[in-house]
Amino acid sequence: MKRKVVDQNISITLKDVTKVYQLYHDKPTLVERLFNRNSIEEFTAVNHLSLHIKQGQKVAIMGRNGSGKTTLLKLICEISHPTTGKVSHSGKIVSLIDLEAGFHPEMTGYENIYLNGTVVGMDRKEIRQKIDQIIEFAGIGKFIDSPVYTYSSGMMLRLGFSIAVHADPDILILDEMLAAGDIDFQKKSVKKIQQFFQQNKTVITVSHNLEFLEKHYDRFIWMNKGKIIDDGGKEIVKKYLKSKI
Amino acid sequence: MISWSSELLHWWEYLYVFTVKEIKARYKKAIFGFIWILLNPLLQMLVIGFIFQFFVPVKVNNYFLFLFVGLLPWNFFSYSVTKNTPMILNERNLIKKAKFPRETIIISIILSNLFHLLISWFILFLALIVNKILNEHYALPQLIGYSLRLLLTLPILGWLTGLTVAFSLLFSALNVKYRDINFIVQAIMPLWFYATPVIFTLQILPKQFGQFLYINPVTGVVELLHAIILNQPVLNIFWVIVDFFVSVCFLVLSWYVFKREAKYFDDWI
Repeated sequence: MKRKVVDQNISITLKDVTKVYQLYHDKPTLVERLFNRNSIEEFTAVNHLSLHIKQGQKVAIMGRNGSGKTTLLKLICEISHPTTGKVSHSGKIVSLIDLEAGFHPEMTGYENIYLNGTVVGMDRKEIRQKIDQIIEFAGIGKFIDSPVYTYSSGMMLRLGFSIAVHADPDILILDEMLAAGDIDFQKKSVKKIQQFFQQNKTVITVSHNLEFLEKHYDRFIWMNKGKIIDDGGKEIVKKYLKSKI
Repeated sequence: MISWSSELLHWWEYLYVFTVKEIKARYKKAIFGFIWILLNPLLQMLVIGFIFQFFVPVKVNNYFLFLFVGLLPWNFFSYSVTKNTPMILNERNLIKKAKFPRETIIISIILSNLFHLLISWFILFLALIVNKILNEHYALPQLIGYSLRLLLTLPILGWLTGLTVAFSLLFSALNVKYRDINFIVQAIMPLWFYATPVIFTLQILPKQFGQFLYINPVTGVVELLHAIILNQPVLNIFWVIVDFFVSVCFLVLSWYVFKREAKYFDDWI
Protein backbone atom coordinates (compact mmCIF):
# COMPACT_ATOMS: atom_id res chain seq x y z
CA MET A 1 0.00 0.00 0.00
CA LYS A 2 0.86 3.64 -0.18
CA ARG A 3 3.45 4.22 2.52
CA LYS A 4 4.70 7.65 3.20
CA VAL A 5 8.25 8.03 2.01
CA VAL A 6 10.17 11.24 2.41
CA ASP A 7 10.37 12.28 -1.18
CA GLN A 8 12.98 14.84 -2.06
CA ASN A 9 11.32 15.43 -5.39
CA ILE A 10 8.13 17.01 -4.21
CA SER A 11 8.06 20.16 -6.22
CA ILE A 12 6.00 22.41 -8.40
CA THR A 13 7.01 23.58 -11.84
CA LEU A 14 5.28 26.12 -14.03
CA LYS A 15 6.68 26.58 -17.53
CA ASP A 16 5.72 29.69 -19.45
CA VAL A 17 2.16 29.58 -18.14
CA THR A 18 -0.51 31.93 -19.42
CA LYS A 19 -4.12 31.98 -18.29
CA VAL A 20 -6.64 33.95 -20.27
CA TYR A 21 -10.23 34.37 -19.10
CA GLN A 22 -13.07 35.34 -21.37
CA LEU A 23 -15.21 38.07 -19.96
CA TYR A 24 -18.95 37.99 -20.30
CA HIS A 25 -21.43 40.59 -19.28
CA ASP A 26 -24.34 38.19 -19.17
CA LYS A 27 -24.82 34.52 -18.69
CA PRO A 28 -23.38 32.79 -21.74
CA THR A 29 -26.06 31.10 -23.83
CA LEU A 30 -26.24 29.08 -27.00
CA VAL A 31 -28.92 31.30 -28.50
CA GLU A 32 -26.72 34.34 -28.05
CA ARG A 33 -23.78 32.52 -29.54
CA LEU A 34 -25.78 31.60 -32.62
CA PHE A 35 -27.50 34.91 -33.29
CA ASN A 36 -25.29 37.50 -31.79
CA ARG A 37 -21.62 36.96 -32.39
CA ASN A 38 -20.16 39.55 -30.12
CA SER A 39 -16.45 39.95 -29.97
CA ILE A 40 -15.40 38.43 -26.68
CA GLU A 41 -13.37 40.48 -24.26
CA GLU A 42 -10.43 38.72 -22.76
CA PHE A 43 -8.50 39.14 -19.58
CA THR A 44 -5.03 37.78 -19.02
CA ALA A 45 -4.74 36.82 -15.36
CA VAL A 46 -1.36 35.13 -15.56
CA ASN A 47 1.06 36.16 -18.26
CA HIS A 48 3.96 33.95 -19.43
CA LEU A 49 4.94 32.97 -15.94
CA SER A 50 7.59 30.43 -15.05
CA LEU A 51 8.21 29.24 -11.53
CA HIS A 52 9.86 26.40 -9.70
CA ILE A 53 9.13 25.63 -6.06
CA LYS A 54 11.25 23.06 -4.25
CA GLN A 55 10.19 20.84 -1.42
CA GLY A 56 10.06 22.49 1.97
CA GLN A 57 10.00 26.04 0.70
CA LYS A 58 7.66 28.42 2.44
CA VAL A 59 6.46 30.63 -0.33
CA ALA A 60 4.52 33.83 0.19
CA ILE A 61 2.86 35.44 -2.80
CA MET A 62 2.25 39.16 -2.54
CA GLY A 63 0.59 41.60 -4.84
CA ARG A 64 -2.38 43.88 -5.11
CA ASN A 65 -5.91 42.76 -5.82
CA GLY A 66 -6.17 41.48 -9.36
CA SER A 67 -2.49 40.74 -9.75
CA GLY A 68 -3.17 37.07 -10.49
CA LYS A 69 -2.32 35.53 -7.12
CA THR A 70 -5.43 33.43 -6.70
CA THR A 71 -5.33 32.34 -10.33
CA LEU A 72 -1.77 31.19 -9.77
CA LEU A 73 -2.87 29.13 -6.75
CA LYS A 74 -5.71 27.61 -8.74
CA LEU A 75 -3.30 26.67 -11.51
CA ILE A 76 -0.97 25.03 -9.02
CA CYS A 77 -3.87 23.04 -7.49
CA GLU A 78 -4.95 22.02 -11.01
CA ILE A 79 -8.44 23.31 -10.33
CA SER A 80 -7.84 25.59 -13.29
CA HIS A 81 -5.91 24.69 -16.43
CA PRO A 82 -3.53 27.03 -18.21
CA THR A 83 -4.42 28.45 -21.62
CA THR A 84 -0.84 27.83 -22.73
CA GLY A 85 2.19 26.45 -20.94
CA LYS A 86 2.59 23.60 -18.55
CA VAL A 87 1.99 23.09 -14.84
CA SER A 88 3.29 20.01 -13.10
CA HIS A 89 3.71 18.94 -9.53
CA SER A 90 4.47 15.87 -7.48
CA GLY A 91 3.10 15.14 -4.04
CA LYS A 92 -0.33 15.64 -2.58
CA ILE A 93 -1.68 19.17 -2.65
CA VAL A 94 -4.36 20.25 -0.22
CA SER A 95 -5.72 23.75 -0.34
CA LEU A 96 -7.33 25.56 2.53
CA ILE A 97 -9.42 27.59 0.11
CA ASP A 98 -13.19 27.51 0.58
CA LEU A 99 -13.12 25.40 3.71
CA GLU A 100 -16.85 25.32 4.21
CA ALA A 101 -17.51 24.36 0.61
CA GLY A 102 -18.45 20.84 -0.37
CA PHE A 103 -20.60 20.00 2.60
CA HIS A 104 -23.98 18.48 2.00
CA PRO A 105 -26.35 20.36 4.32
CA GLU A 106 -28.74 17.49 4.98
CA MET A 107 -26.11 14.96 5.90
CA THR A 108 -24.55 14.64 9.32
CA GLY A 109 -21.13 15.97 10.21
CA TYR A 110 -19.92 12.39 10.35
CA GLU A 111 -21.12 11.59 6.83
CA ASN A 112 -19.75 14.88 5.58
CA ILE A 113 -16.28 14.01 6.81
CA TYR A 114 -16.30 11.09 4.39
CA LEU A 115 -17.61 13.27 1.59
CA ASN A 116 -15.29 16.21 2.12
CA GLY A 117 -12.35 13.99 3.03
CA THR A 118 -12.66 12.23 -0.29
CA VAL A 119 -12.78 15.52 -2.14
CA VAL A 120 -9.51 16.64 -0.58
CA GLY A 121 -7.89 13.37 -1.58
CA MET A 122 -8.17 10.86 1.27
CA ASP A 123 -9.53 7.36 0.75
CA ARG A 124 -12.11 5.76 3.02
CA LYS A 125 -9.55 3.70 4.90
CA GLU A 126 -7.51 6.77 5.68
CA ILE A 127 -10.60 8.67 6.81
CA ARG A 128 -11.68 5.78 9.05
CA GLN A 129 -8.31 5.85 10.76
CA LYS A 130 -8.34 9.59 11.28
CA ILE A 131 -11.98 10.33 11.90
CA ASP A 132 -11.68 10.52 15.68
CA GLN A 133 -8.78 12.95 15.41
CA ILE A 134 -10.70 15.05 12.89
CA ILE A 135 -13.76 15.27 15.14
CA GLU A 136 -11.64 15.95 18.19
CA PHE A 137 -9.67 18.72 16.49
CA ALA A 138 -12.77 20.39 15.04
CA GLY A 139 -14.39 20.46 18.48
CA ILE A 140 -17.84 19.81 17.09
CA GLY A 141 -18.89 17.63 20.03
CA LYS A 142 -22.41 16.22 20.02
CA PHE A 143 -23.24 17.99 16.77
CA ILE A 144 -21.24 15.45 14.79
CA ASP A 145 -24.38 13.32 14.40
CA SER A 146 -26.58 16.26 13.42
CA PRO A 147 -27.13 17.47 9.87
CA VAL A 148 -24.70 20.16 8.81
CA TYR A 149 -27.46 22.74 8.19
CA THR A 150 -27.78 23.00 11.96
CA TYR A 151 -24.13 24.09 12.23
CA SER A 152 -23.00 27.65 12.72
CA SER A 153 -20.63 29.00 10.06
CA GLY A 154 -17.80 28.79 12.59
CA MET A 155 -18.44 25.10 13.13
CA MET A 156 -18.42 24.43 9.40
CA LEU A 157 -15.13 26.26 9.00
CA ARG A 158 -13.62 24.35 11.88
CA LEU A 159 -14.74 21.02 10.47
CA GLY A 160 -13.49 21.98 7.01
CA PHE A 161 -10.14 23.06 8.37
CA SER A 162 -9.80 19.93 10.45
CA ILE A 163 -10.51 17.66 7.46
CA ALA A 164 -8.08 19.53 5.21
CA VAL A 165 -5.15 19.47 7.61
CA HIS A 166 -5.67 15.81 8.44
CA ALA A 167 -5.40 14.90 4.76
CA ASP A 168 -1.66 14.88 5.33
CA PRO A 169 -0.66 17.05 2.38
CA ASP A 170 2.87 17.39 1.03
CA ILE A 171 2.01 20.81 -0.30
CA LEU A 172 -0.32 23.09 1.60
CA ILE A 173 -2.02 26.04 -0.05
CA LEU A 174 -3.36 28.85 2.09
CA ASP A 175 -5.39 31.73 0.72
CA GLU A 176 -5.31 34.62 3.22
CA MET A 177 -4.90 33.85 6.88
CA LEU A 178 -7.56 31.81 8.51
CA ALA A 179 -9.89 33.41 10.91
CA ALA A 180 -11.87 30.31 11.70
CA GLY A 181 -13.74 30.00 14.94
CA ASP A 182 -12.99 31.53 18.31
CA ILE A 183 -9.63 32.46 19.78
CA ASP A 184 -9.00 28.96 21.10
CA PHE A 185 -9.50 27.45 17.69
CA GLN A 186 -7.42 30.11 16.00
CA LYS A 187 -4.55 29.27 18.32
CA LYS A 188 -5.03 25.60 17.57
CA SER A 189 -5.02 26.17 13.82
CA VAL A 190 -1.93 28.39 13.88
CA LYS A 191 -0.20 25.67 15.89
CA LYS A 192 -1.23 23.07 13.34
CA ILE A 193 0.09 25.17 10.47
CA GLN A 194 3.33 25.72 12.34
CA GLN A 195 3.61 21.95 12.61
CA PHE A 196 3.50 21.83 8.84
CA PHE A 197 6.27 24.41 8.75
CA GLN A 198 8.41 22.26 11.01
CA GLN A 199 7.70 19.06 9.07
CA ASN A 200 9.46 20.55 6.07
CA LYS A 201 6.31 20.61 4.01
CA THR A 202 5.90 23.00 1.16
CA VAL A 203 3.57 25.84 2.08
CA ILE A 204 2.30 28.40 -0.38
CA THR A 205 0.31 31.35 0.87
CA VAL A 206 -1.39 34.36 -0.56
CA SER A 207 -1.89 37.05 2.01
CA HIS A 208 -1.94 40.76 2.69
CA ASN A 209 -0.81 40.16 6.24
CA LEU A 210 2.85 41.02 5.60
CA GLU A 211 3.82 40.80 9.26
CA PHE A 212 2.79 37.17 9.42
CA LEU A 213 4.46 36.41 6.11
CA GLU A 214 7.76 37.98 7.12
CA LYS A 215 7.82 35.94 10.29
CA HIS A 216 7.14 32.50 8.86
CA TYR A 217 8.14 32.44 5.21
CA ASP A 218 11.47 32.23 3.44
CA ARG A 219 10.65 32.93 -0.17
CA PHE A 220 8.68 35.89 -1.38
CA ILE A 221 7.15 36.36 -4.79
CA TRP A 222 5.82 39.72 -5.79
CA MET A 223 3.24 39.65 -8.53
CA ASN A 224 1.74 42.38 -10.64
CA LYS A 225 -0.49 42.10 -13.74
CA GLY A 226 0.03 38.36 -13.96
CA LYS A 227 3.81 38.56 -13.94
CA ILE A 228 6.45 38.04 -11.32
CA ILE A 229 8.04 41.39 -10.53
CA ASP A 230 10.50 40.03 -8.03
CA ASP A 231 11.35 36.76 -6.35
CA GLY A 232 13.67 36.29 -3.43
CA GLY A 233 14.15 36.56 0.33
CA LYS A 234 12.78 38.94 2.95
CA GLU A 235 14.15 42.02 1.18
CA ILE A 236 11.32 41.69 -1.32
CA VAL A 237 8.77 42.58 1.37
CA LYS A 238 10.46 45.94 1.94
CA LYS A 239 10.62 46.66 -1.78
CA TYR A 240 6.96 45.78 -2.09
CA LEU A 241 6.02 48.07 0.79
CA LYS A 242 7.97 50.96 -0.69
CA SER A 243 6.40 50.60 -4.09
CA LYS A 244 2.98 50.69 -2.56
CA ILE A 245 3.44 54.15 -1.13
CA MET B 1 3.31 11.52 -10.48
CA ILE B 2 0.59 9.26 -9.15
CA SER B 3 0.51 5.89 -10.87
CA TRP B 4 -2.27 4.97 -13.23
CA SER B 5 -3.75 2.22 -11.06
CA SER B 6 -3.90 4.35 -7.96
CA GLU B 7 -5.63 7.05 -9.98
CA LEU B 8 -8.24 4.52 -11.09
CA LEU B 9 -8.70 3.39 -7.51
CA HIS B 10 -9.28 6.98 -6.50
CA TRP B 11 -11.76 7.38 -9.31
CA TRP B 12 -13.88 4.56 -7.86
CA GLU B 13 -13.45 6.02 -4.41
CA TYR B 14 -14.97 9.32 -5.55
CA LEU B 15 -17.74 7.55 -7.41
CA TYR B 16 -18.57 5.35 -4.41
CA VAL B 17 -18.63 8.17 -1.87
CA PHE B 18 -20.69 10.48 -4.11
CA THR B 19 -23.16 7.71 -4.93
CA VAL B 20 -23.65 6.76 -1.29
CA LYS B 21 -24.15 10.46 -0.50
CA GLU B 22 -26.77 10.74 -3.21
CA ILE B 23 -28.70 7.69 -2.02
CA LYS B 24 -28.54 8.71 1.64
CA ALA B 25 -29.55 12.29 0.89
CA ARG B 26 -32.63 10.98 -0.83
CA TYR B 27 -33.74 9.07 2.24
CA LYS B 28 -33.09 12.06 4.47
CA LYS B 29 -35.56 14.16 2.56
CA ALA B 30 -38.45 11.73 2.95
CA ILE B 31 -38.79 8.88 5.37
CA PHE B 32 -40.42 6.78 2.68
CA GLY B 33 -38.01 7.98 0.04
CA PHE B 34 -38.15 4.68 -1.67
CA ILE B 35 -41.95 4.40 -1.72
CA TRP B 36 -42.06 7.46 -3.93
CA ILE B 37 -39.81 5.82 -6.48
CA LEU B 38 -42.38 3.08 -6.98
CA LEU B 39 -45.48 5.20 -6.38
CA ASN B 40 -44.60 7.73 -9.04
CA PRO B 41 -44.56 5.33 -12.02
CA LEU B 42 -47.54 3.45 -10.57
CA LEU B 43 -49.63 6.61 -10.53
CA GLN B 44 -48.38 7.55 -13.98
CA MET B 45 -49.28 4.10 -15.19
CA LEU B 46 -52.80 4.33 -13.80
CA VAL B 47 -53.50 7.79 -15.19
CA ILE B 48 -51.94 7.26 -18.61
CA GLY B 49 -53.37 3.76 -18.84
CA PHE B 50 -56.86 4.92 -17.96
CA ILE B 51 -56.86 7.76 -20.49
CA PHE B 52 -54.93 6.27 -23.37
CA GLN B 53 -56.69 2.92 -23.52
CA PHE B 54 -59.53 4.85 -25.14
CA PHE B 55 -57.32 6.56 -27.69
CA VAL B 56 -54.44 4.31 -28.52
CA PRO B 57 -55.32 1.09 -30.30
CA VAL B 58 -52.31 -0.76 -28.92
CA LYS B 59 -52.54 -4.49 -29.36
CA VAL B 60 -51.07 -5.77 -26.12
CA ASN B 61 -52.49 -8.22 -23.62
CA ASN B 62 -52.00 -6.03 -20.62
CA TYR B 63 -51.71 -2.34 -21.46
CA PHE B 64 -51.04 -1.35 -17.84
CA LEU B 65 -48.14 -3.75 -17.56
CA PHE B 66 -46.89 -2.58 -20.95
CA LEU B 67 -46.89 1.01 -19.67
CA PHE B 68 -45.15 0.14 -16.43
CA VAL B 69 -42.33 -1.73 -18.17
CA GLY B 70 -41.67 1.36 -20.32
CA LEU B 71 -42.24 4.00 -17.64
CA LEU B 72 -39.67 2.70 -15.15
CA PRO B 73 -36.68 2.94 -17.52
CA TRP B 74 -37.99 6.14 -19.12
CA ASN B 75 -38.32 7.83 -15.73
CA PHE B 76 -34.81 6.72 -14.84
CA PHE B 77 -33.48 8.18 -18.07
CA SER B 78 -35.38 11.46 -18.10
CA TYR B 79 -34.98 12.12 -14.39
CA SER B 80 -31.22 11.49 -14.51
CA VAL B 81 -30.58 13.60 -17.61
CA THR B 82 -32.76 16.49 -16.41
CA LYS B 83 -31.16 16.48 -13.00
CA ASN B 84 -27.63 16.20 -14.35
CA THR B 85 -27.80 18.94 -16.97
CA PRO B 86 -27.26 21.84 -14.52
CA MET B 87 -25.24 19.68 -12.11
CA ILE B 88 -21.80 21.18 -12.78
CA LEU B 89 -23.15 24.62 -11.94
CA ASN B 90 -25.00 23.32 -8.87
CA GLU B 91 -21.84 21.73 -7.55
CA ARG B 92 -19.62 24.72 -8.30
CA ASN B 93 -18.56 24.85 -4.64
CA LEU B 94 -17.08 21.39 -4.90
CA ILE B 95 -15.47 22.07 -8.27
CA LYS B 96 -13.84 25.30 -7.16
CA LYS B 97 -12.52 23.62 -4.06
CA ALA B 98 -10.44 20.73 -5.28
CA LYS B 99 -9.17 18.74 -8.18
CA PHE B 100 -11.03 15.48 -8.74
CA PRO B 101 -12.53 13.72 -11.75
CA ARG B 102 -15.60 15.84 -12.49
CA GLU B 103 -17.50 13.08 -14.27
CA THR B 104 -17.87 11.18 -10.98
CA ILE B 105 -20.41 13.81 -9.86
CA ILE B 106 -22.55 13.11 -12.92
CA ILE B 107 -22.20 9.34 -12.88
CA SER B 108 -22.93 9.11 -9.15
CA ILE B 109 -26.36 10.69 -9.72
CA ILE B 110 -27.05 8.09 -12.40
CA LEU B 111 -25.86 5.19 -10.24
CA SER B 112 -28.04 6.27 -7.33
CA ASN B 113 -31.03 6.42 -9.68
CA LEU B 114 -30.04 3.07 -11.12
CA PHE B 115 -30.04 1.65 -7.60
CA HIS B 116 -33.64 2.76 -7.17
CA LEU B 117 -34.60 1.54 -10.63
CA LEU B 118 -33.20 -1.91 -9.88
CA ILE B 119 -35.21 -2.16 -6.67
CA SER B 120 -38.42 -1.34 -8.56
CA TRP B 121 -37.36 -3.68 -11.34
CA PHE B 122 -36.95 -6.63 -9.00
CA ILE B 123 -40.30 -5.91 -7.37
CA LEU B 124 -41.76 -6.01 -10.88
CA PHE B 125 -40.03 -9.38 -11.46
CA LEU B 126 -41.49 -10.70 -8.24
CA ALA B 127 -44.99 -9.61 -9.22
CA LEU B 128 -44.60 -11.18 -12.68
CA ILE B 129 -43.36 -14.48 -11.26
CA VAL B 130 -46.09 -14.62 -8.61
CA ASN B 131 -48.61 -13.96 -11.37
CA LYS B 132 -47.24 -16.87 -13.40
CA ILE B 133 -47.53 -19.19 -10.40
CA LEU B 134 -51.01 -18.15 -9.33
CA ASN B 135 -52.72 -17.53 -12.65
CA GLU B 136 -50.87 -19.72 -15.11
CA HIS B 137 -49.75 -22.46 -12.71
CA TYR B 138 -46.19 -22.57 -13.96
CA ALA B 139 -44.16 -25.58 -12.85
CA LEU B 140 -40.63 -25.18 -11.54
CA PRO B 141 -38.70 -25.71 -14.81
CA GLN B 142 -40.99 -23.27 -16.58
CA LEU B 143 -40.47 -20.76 -13.78
CA ILE B 144 -36.69 -21.04 -14.01
CA GLY B 145 -36.85 -20.51 -17.76
CA TYR B 146 -39.11 -17.51 -17.27
CA SER B 147 -36.85 -16.01 -14.58
CA LEU B 148 -33.80 -16.39 -16.78
CA ARG B 149 -35.68 -14.66 -19.54
CA LEU B 150 -36.47 -11.77 -17.22
CA LEU B 151 -32.80 -11.52 -16.25
CA LEU B 152 -32.04 -10.84 -19.91
CA THR B 153 -33.43 -7.36 -19.31
CA LEU B 154 -30.48 -6.48 -17.06
CA PRO B 155 -27.91 -6.04 -19.87
CA ILE B 156 -30.54 -3.92 -21.64
CA LEU B 157 -30.72 -1.71 -18.54
CA GLY B 158 -26.91 -1.57 -18.75
CA TRP B 159 -27.26 -0.20 -22.26
CA LEU B 160 -29.77 2.37 -21.01
CA THR B 161 -27.37 3.37 -18.23
CA GLY B 162 -24.60 3.95 -20.77
CA LEU B 163 -26.94 6.05 -22.85
CA THR B 164 -27.97 8.05 -19.77
CA VAL B 165 -24.30 8.66 -18.94
CA ALA B 166 -23.67 9.80 -22.51
CA PHE B 167 -26.51 12.36 -22.61
CA SER B 168 -25.81 13.54 -19.05
CA LEU B 169 -22.11 14.13 -19.67
CA LEU B 170 -22.74 15.96 -22.93
CA PHE B 171 -25.54 18.20 -21.66
CA SER B 172 -23.90 19.00 -18.33
CA ALA B 173 -20.63 19.95 -20.04
CA LEU B 174 -22.36 22.11 -22.64
CA ASN B 175 -24.55 23.76 -20.02
CA VAL B 176 -21.46 25.29 -18.44
CA LYS B 177 -20.76 27.37 -21.53
CA TYR B 178 -24.30 27.67 -22.80
CA ARG B 179 -26.63 28.16 -19.88
CA ASP B 180 -29.77 27.76 -21.97
CA ILE B 181 -29.02 24.08 -22.62
CA ASN B 182 -30.80 23.43 -19.33
CA PHE B 183 -33.99 25.08 -20.59
CA ILE B 184 -33.70 23.33 -23.92
CA VAL B 185 -33.41 19.94 -22.19
CA GLN B 186 -36.40 20.72 -19.98
CA ALA B 187 -38.38 21.66 -23.08
CA ILE B 188 -37.48 18.63 -25.17
CA MET B 189 -37.88 16.00 -22.44
CA PRO B 190 -41.71 15.80 -22.69
CA LEU B 191 -41.45 15.66 -26.50
CA TRP B 192 -38.77 13.00 -26.19
CA PHE B 193 -41.21 10.96 -24.11
CA TYR B 194 -43.63 10.85 -27.04
CA ALA B 195 -40.80 9.98 -29.41
CA THR B 196 -40.15 6.84 -27.35
CA PRO B 197 -42.53 3.88 -27.57
CA VAL B 198 -43.60 3.96 -23.92
CA ILE B 199 -47.34 4.50 -24.32
CA PHE B 200 -47.63 3.01 -27.82
CA THR B 201 -45.97 0.41 -30.00
CA LEU B 202 -44.10 1.30 -33.17
CA GLN B 203 -46.45 -1.02 -35.07
CA ILE B 204 -49.44 1.28 -34.67
CA LEU B 205 -47.61 4.15 -36.39
CA PRO B 206 -47.67 4.68 -40.17
CA LYS B 207 -45.01 2.48 -41.70
CA GLN B 208 -42.20 4.96 -42.42
CA PHE B 209 -42.82 6.91 -39.27
CA GLY B 210 -42.17 3.93 -37.00
CA GLN B 211 -38.70 3.43 -38.49
CA PHE B 212 -38.05 7.12 -38.09
CA LEU B 213 -38.27 6.87 -34.27
CA TYR B 214 -35.11 4.73 -34.21
CA ILE B 215 -33.19 8.00 -34.52
CA ASN B 216 -33.92 8.18 -30.80
CA PRO B 217 -31.73 5.40 -29.34
CA VAL B 218 -33.96 5.03 -26.28
CA THR B 219 -36.49 3.49 -28.69
CA GLY B 220 -34.31 0.40 -29.11
CA VAL B 221 -33.96 -0.02 -25.35
CA VAL B 222 -37.68 0.22 -24.59
CA GLU B 223 -38.62 -2.04 -27.50
CA LEU B 224 -36.26 -4.75 -26.30
CA LEU B 225 -37.62 -4.56 -22.76
CA HIS B 226 -41.15 -4.91 -24.11
CA ALA B 227 -40.00 -7.81 -26.25
CA ILE B 228 -38.42 -9.71 -23.38
CA ILE B 229 -41.06 -9.16 -20.72
CA LEU B 230 -44.25 -9.00 -22.80
CA ASN B 231 -43.33 -10.94 -25.92
CA GLN B 232 -43.99 -7.87 -28.02
CA PRO B 233 -42.60 -8.07 -31.56
CA VAL B 234 -39.75 -5.69 -32.43
CA LEU B 235 -40.49 -3.55 -35.48
CA ASN B 236 -37.04 -3.71 -37.00
CA ILE B 237 -34.27 -5.58 -35.19
CA PHE B 238 -31.65 -4.23 -37.60
CA TRP B 239 -32.25 -0.66 -36.45
CA VAL B 240 -32.23 -1.76 -32.81
CA ILE B 241 -28.73 -3.15 -33.33
CA VAL B 242 -27.71 0.07 -35.10
CA ASP B 243 -29.09 2.00 -32.11
CA PHE B 244 -26.85 -0.01 -29.84
CA PHE B 245 -23.69 0.77 -31.77
CA VAL B 246 -24.69 4.41 -32.15
CA SER B 247 -25.10 4.52 -28.35
CA VAL B 248 -21.60 3.13 -27.80
CA CYS B 249 -20.04 5.66 -30.18
CA PHE B 250 -22.09 8.43 -28.63
CA LEU B 251 -20.88 7.49 -25.13
CA VAL B 252 -17.25 7.62 -26.24
CA LEU B 253 -17.80 10.97 -27.92
CA SER B 254 -19.64 12.50 -24.94
CA TRP B 255 -16.98 11.28 -22.55
CA TYR B 256 -14.32 12.88 -24.70
CA VAL B 257 -16.19 16.19 -24.91
CA PHE B 258 -16.78 16.20 -21.17
CA LYS B 259 -13.13 15.48 -20.33
CA ARG B 260 -11.98 18.19 -22.72
CA GLU B 261 -14.42 20.76 -21.30
CA ALA B 262 -13.86 19.73 -17.67
CA LYS B 263 -10.43 21.38 -17.67
CA TYR B 264 -12.06 24.75 -18.09
CA PHE B 265 -15.15 24.36 -15.87
CA ASP B 266 -13.55 26.54 -13.24
CA ASP B 267 -13.28 29.45 -15.70
CA TRP B 268 -16.97 29.50 -16.42
CA ILE B 269 -18.74 28.80 -13.16
